[in-house]
Amino acid sequence: MAGVMIVEDDATLLDLLRESLERRNYTVITASNGREALIKFRPSVVDLVITDLLMPEEDGLMVIMKIREMKPSIRLIAISGGGKAGPGSYLLMASKLGADHVISKPFLPSELVKKVKEMIG
Amino acid sequence: MPARGKQEGKTSSAGGHGRGRSSQAEAQLAKMAAGIAHDLNTVITTIYGFSEQAMESAGEKSRTAAYVRKIISAADRARMLTARLLSLSRHAANEKMAVRITDILSETIDLVKPSVPAGIKIVRKINAPEATIEAVPLQLFRIFLNLIMNAVQAIEEKKGIIEITVDGPVNNKGKRTKKNDTCLHIRISDTGKGMDRDTIEKMFEPYFTGGGEQGTGLGLSVVSDALTDMHGTITVSSVKGHGTIVDMIIPDATFGSVSEKN
Repeated sequence: MAGVMIVEDDATLLDLLRESLERRNYTVITASNGREALIKFRPSVVDLVITDLLMPEEDGLMVIMKIREMKPSIRLIAISGGGKAGPGSYLLMASKLGADHVISKPFLPSELVKKVKEMIG
Repeated sequence: MPARGKQEGKTSSAGGHGRGRSSQAEAQLAKMAAGIAHDLNTVITTIYGFSEQAMESAGEKSRTAAYVRKIISAADRARMLTARLLSLSRHAANEKMAVRITDILSETIDLVKPSVPAGIKIVRKINAPEATIEAVPLQLFRIFLNLIMNAVQAIEEKKGIIEITVDGPVNNKGKRTKKNDTCLHIRISDTGKGMDRDTIEKMFEPYFTGGGEQGTGLGLSVVSDALTDMHGTITVSSVKGHGTIVDMIIPDATFGSVSEKN
């Protein structure tokens, strides 16, 4: 089954997304910040990365750039609720850095799962 | 001969000055409101998610599902409230105010820097450190963000230089004539792969994507629209294989301190 990595600093949301994807039989790896994501990322296992953008210890934008370098064929979804520059700016930047799809919070996790299925089956 | 493309805005005056201090306070409030909305949006996503799961495990016709539907409808109302909060914050954030260019430039570079490969150097040449214009700060932020990220993407080998020059006062052609010059000149150049004339012209079209396999690479329509709003101009010069230079001229700048202006 396809592998998904979720990078999110809100522990409750991270748990929720992990559970939602595991119930659809995806292999899920989680990380609570960008640095942990880069350590845990395995190109042979992960087909898609879902990353929040504003996080401590290496933000999501760095994750997008570095993971895209490690595995050019990776599919990437950026999620963000904004910050002082507003969600539009961060999601625009994520697109520029190579995110395939961007989602603004709040979202229905079922819609995210649907998008994951569209992207990697 | 470098390929060039130019977009010009209207040439009328940028409008009134002087609401600086109260507008800056409003902008601070707007940032705070945006921050609160951000945190609430994460919480609402979690409420939606666990509600969906509870509904799935209880079965759609159960009594529990009826309670969960009420939770979802409460979360919908909370979502509308955060949208209102964001809309208020956007309204305040969209007000024009006296903005020192170097402040916004530093903020943008601070945000972008962690994502820029170590081999790419961002060099600032600030000849007009106090240059101030009447503008929407977020709009300026987006201009810098777009242009700097375009430059980062253009440097293929992850090794090169992005040079940002802030100069003025100049005339509307970017020249120092010392005859009532009131324009600000901002140049962002890179040592990247450059573009041909066709690509430069297309960059100004909405929804143009030039990033190829690297990403979506949004074009310059966002930047040129924002500059038009400031009655400014943008010119792009590029030689394929030898980098790109983006020149922006913004009229009605002042070159003293912000407090003098207010």
